[in-house]
Amino acid sequence: MMDFSYARPADLAAAGAALAAGGMALGGGTGLLDLAKLGVARPVAVVDLTRLPGLDAIQVSETEARIGALVKMSRLAAHPAMRAALPAVGQALLASASPQIRNMATIGGNLLQRTRCAYFRDAAVGSCNRRNPGSGCAAVGGVTRGHALLGVSPHCIATHPGDLAVALVAFDAVVETWSPNGQRLLSVHDFFLLPGATPGQEFALAPGEIVTGLRIPLAPVARQARYVKLRDRASYEFAAASLAAGMSLGVDGRIADLRLALGGVATIPWRARSVEAALIGEHPTPAAIAAAAALAMREAEPQPDNRHKLALVPALIERTLTDMVGEPA
Amino acid sequence: MSPLDAPVKRGGAGDGLPVLGAALARLDGVAKLEGSARFALDQPVEGLAHAVLLRATIAAGRVTRIDAAAAEAAPGVLAVLTPDNTAPLAAASSWTGAPPAQPQYRPLDAEIFHHGQQIAAVVAETLEQAQEAARLILVDYEAVPAITGLDDPRAGDGDPIDMLSKSWGDAAAALDKAAVRLTLEYRTPREFNMPIEPHGLIAQWDGEELTLWEPSQWLDGMARTYAEWFGLRFDQVRIVSPYIGGGFGSKALALPHGAVAAMAARQLGRPVKLALTRSQTFTGLGGRPATRQVLEIGATAGGRLLAIRQRGWNETSMNAVSVEPLGSVTGLMYALPNFDSRQNVVPVHTVQPGAKRAPGENPSAFGLESAIDELAHAVGQDPLALRLLNDAEHDHSSGKPWSTRKLREALAAGAVAFGWDRRDPMPRSMRDGHLLIGWGMAAGTYPVRRTAGEALVGILADGSVEVASSTADMGTGAHTILAQTAAEALGLPVERVQVRLGDSRLPRAPVTGGSQMAGLMTGAVHKAALAAREVLIGLALSDPRSPLRGTGANTLRLEGGMLVAPDGTAYDVSAVLKATGRERVEALRDTLAENRLKPEDHYRNFTTVSTMRAPTDGDYSMHSWCAHFVEVAVDEALQTIRLRRVVSAFDSGRLYNPKLAASQWKGGIVMGIGQALLEEGLVDHRHARLMNDNLGDYLLPTNADIPEIEVIDVGEPDPHASALGGKAVGELGIVGVAPAIANALFHATGKRLRSLPLTGQRLAEAG
Amino acid sequence: MSTPRPLTLIVNGEPRALQVEPRTTLLDALRERLDLTGTKKGCDHGQCGACTLHVDGERVLACLTLAQQAEGRRITTIEGLAGPDGTLHAVQKAFLAEDAFQCGYCTPGQIMSAVACIREGHAGSAAEIREFMAGNLCRCGAYPHIVAAVQRAARALEQETLA
Repeated sequence: MMDFSYARPADLAAAGAALAAGGMALGGGTGLLDLAKLGVARPVAVVDLTRLPGLDAIQVSETEARIGALVKMSRLAAHPAMRAALPAVGQALLASASPQIRNMATIGGNLLQRTRCAYFRDAAVGSCNRRNPGSGCAAVGGVTRGHALLGVSPHCIATHPGDLAVALVAFDAVVETWSPNGQRLLSVHDFFLLPGATPGQEFALAPGEIVTGLRIPLAPVARQARYVKLRDRASYEFAAASLAAGMSLGVDGRIADLRLALGGVATIPWRARSVEAALIGEHPTPAAIAAAAALAMREAEPQPDNRHKLALVPALIERTLTDMVGEPA
Repeated sequence: MSPLDAPVKRGGAGDGLPVLGAALARLDGVAKLEGSARFALDQPVEGLAHAVLLRATIAAGRVTRIDAAAAEAAPGVLAVLTPDNTAPLAAASSWTGAPPAQPQYRPLDAEIFHHGQQIAAVVAETLEQAQEAARLILVDYEAVPAITGLDDPRAGDGDPIDMLSKSWGDAAAALDKAAVRLTLEYRTPREFNMPIEPHGLIAQWDGEELTLWEPSQWLDGMARTYAEWFGLRFDQVRIVSPYIGGGFGSKALALPHGAVAAMAARQLGRPVKLALTRSQTFTGLGGRPATRQVLEIGATAGGRLLAIRQRGWNETSMNAVSVEPLGSVTGLMYALPNFDSRQNVVPVHTVQPGAKRAPGENPSAFGLESAIDELAHAVGQDPLALRLLNDAEHDHSSGKPWSTRKLREALAAGAVAFGWDRRDPMPRSMRDGHLLIGWGMAAGTYPVRRTAGEALVGILADGSVEVASSTADMGTGAHTILAQTAAEALGLPVERVQVRLGDSRLPRAPVTGGSQMAGLMTGAVHKAALAAREVLIGLALSDPRSPLRGTGANTLRLEGGMLVAPDGTAYDVSAVLKATGRERVEALRDTLAENRLKPEDHYRNFTTVSTMRAPTDGDYSMHSWCAHFVEVAVDEALQTIRLRRVVSAFDSGRLYNPKLAASQWKGGIVMGIGQALLEEGLVDHRHARLMNDNLGDYLLPTNADIPEIEVIDVGEPDPHASALGGKAVGELGIVGVAPAIANALFHATGKRLRSLPLTGQRLAEAG
Repeated sequence: MSTPRPLTLIVNGEPRALQVEPRTTLLDALRERLDLTGTKKGCDHGQCGACTLHVDGERVLACLTLAQQAEGRRITTIEGLAGPDGTLHAVQKAFLAEDAFQCGYCTPGQIMSAVACIREGHAGSAAEIREFMAGNLCRCGAYPHIVAAVQRAARALEQETLA
């Protein structure tokens, strides 16, 4: 790591100034220090945000959960009211990383985690549009079993690694930010940027803008939500594929609300809207679910090493929804 | 009596013995639990400088220029070592003692043979300074196309290794006539040992004396290599390795990074610490090379084996020949009248492969034990019954009788404990909800290897006993079983014995590998302890100051720290030693053969593997045996494979400590589970670059991957295998695990995967 | 910019003064500056758990924590786990009894993780222990014995609490 300076600002104004001056934000350290040791992040100034006051609260009302950016993953996962209101969030968190990392990593930092693409993570690989815009993408044609099939561009096929973010996308969370211009509320759907021609732009944040928290609307559909993560190793591994799913049925037995988001297979946390649209208003019969699930990967652009996920993702959706119909919460 | 009715003995084969054979807790355990056990890189050495390696980013070609100006100017930097500014070392002879092919050795070389090869080193006052400065070095290369692996068309068929050719009978003719004939190809990927302690060392020079604090499975062999590299006498090199954070075969040899650390320390005149990064442990040394084997099996319609023809290939590096002998167990497990096995090694641009737990036996068993399961399915027989049908009454390879072979007992005991008789033989017949359940089994074996060892046993005036040897304890339990051995021989409680290991200044020991340590070092300690007792008794009888003087020859007994005369008169050992003015009596003994007592033989014995005896050297063929039974649960749609339980039975001969032996067996099984389901070096075939060179992407099993494992001991003391009756333990457990899981996966799904690891992706791709 | 600067860390109940650069991790500070080498470096990237210790009573990874970040926090390492008279912690005793380690290198991290696992209430079943101990890799394969040791220690600690 470079011989960086270290500052621990006492308030947002000081933090924002330090970041606007080129500092890199430090939360739990599990992302930045990992990348700095790899030489992928080259911080000159590290701005430790973890002791900013007032950003570590969890408030759950009937209609909304508010979560401070400095809340640790483990604390949110264990929060009783959150577990009741939106179980998918806790399940996603507990499926992430390890207990130690969950004790360190903040919710804000978790949203901002970077891809695990091996070509991105090796600073010696010259071609990476995410690290060096315009340099190309070494992953295409390489080892790609973990790479994305959805939301890819010719410039980048790196997978978004998160679990929590998948649940947030399913339930239309809102990201709160602070900058010298004031507070901003930003839909999570707008927060994560598709790689397109500018894979280096991953988040819709301005320089010096700080993620201060999350707001998650607590729709009835959230109460029965779940998060299912598939991987080769039983734990402590990023997703081969994951699904955040919420479903509520109307009095007529038809699907009234349905939220589906995918992880592990897309360049950003991926809302499976085509599947949702096909099922909302329908009876959740096995045939209807299977037919809709098959739509999930219709837009997929697989690599030679990840074609197995074309079947895996629909199977995951089908199984999860079938289970939810069979075992209502 | 059906084999399934065979009596099953539970517990340790050493049960009933007072000390040796008791299930004692580790004697070095508390230090490890308190954090006070100092591993090599934990040593407090004054004035340390820190070295960091820089690696090549091409796989083939040469370094044309290194610009280290910025690094040299960086804060704290003491030196930058490059191919340009370092003198070559003398080349060392190989681990077999073969002289080097070239006179010189360049641990920092401009010629590049693999991606990640070390090309420069930065030494600085602090680790952080060295790490950052290494990033500032600019390197220009002239790259040439690399051969990336066994499947690279440019790799070709490789070079035959005649030493590995084996044949008897007429396999070709027997195959032609066989009623059932299968041709099957099995593959294993590049695997890595990945002990949690990364490789590294502290090197310190004092004049022409070199001290290395370095984890070592073979202190004497590594000291010999360093001595040859630097033109020193063997006794000018001292290796200190009191604890080893896991090795599994990877810490037996001096490696290029060690040469760099010692060079840097000499150049700077101060001690240098060099730890490989985790990523560098994937490129600075090799693990198990990728293998491919084709087995042609001929059998009768009733499933009796007639012939096996085997062709094997393993990858090696461009500049060294490493062999992973794929025929190790193929002709050994069963009664096989006709056999023909050949193997090639295929040079590719990779780091020189090493030895990973049960090199040879492990992938060999994956092929054979998968194939036997396929044969059983082909002839409609139970795979356990088929193995019993083909049981070998003697070793068909050597023609010699087994010393002991409790394989039938292992198969029987495992089957009973597992409940094998409740298995529905039809694939895809057992289910649990969405899950397909599969029950599979396989057998395994590991040979008894033997090299002489040496130990010093001292009886001290305070009544305690000291055991000393340069052998290593990498978690195998050497500290504990050697204390037990001495205590047993001297009639003392084990708490009175101190064991000092892991220092090349101590009496000589050969490599702690090949599962030979326990058998040979208990033998050496036992012999030395009895000799020390004789010295003590002699002193007590003959020294004029001894209170037991003149009691009569051969009459004293040593019991519980007391010397006891026939009339019941007893003096404790310390009283006798004090009376005779001694602080200690001691004896150094070795287990060298009588014809190998010359100094050069002694040196060769401990610093090369050239005197290691084959399992068939003698009147018997000597091996450990095991049988694994596993249950897998497969979610086909979700491409998920999980292990549910493992039951394994072992014949390792006499167990010196059943508690520690069980840990070794289970550890082997756990590593086998990783090999079967998770571990695979992924190579980018455009650049011959390993893409998953870290513990987030090269997946070792976690605690969550490991189900309950039941181990059963069916061994009994084998008087031919070792002085005290033990056979191989540590390498045995992994052999046969991967095929047992592959066989269970077939039983669950009806799909046969013949390439490791057995992933959900491969299962899905199998259709 | 950043010559080493003074920092006081509270390690195992004692204030320890040291000079470190901002980029120095807590792991390297403990091992290279304070000679507290019980905390091990296995991967330096948060992928193995060997460097697990407690900060303010919670298990974290020292390799991904800057020493500066730990200023003012209570740091407990393996060296600080046993009682003042050297009595082993219940988890240490259980590891010995169950032979829950072989080489001993991942062991300090396993033990620190196990203490927290029990304290967090995640030692309820073997399956739960396996999942909540999954952040500590053990290449010797002591996992089944680690699970047994955590169960044994959890029982012992429960008895202690009752008594």
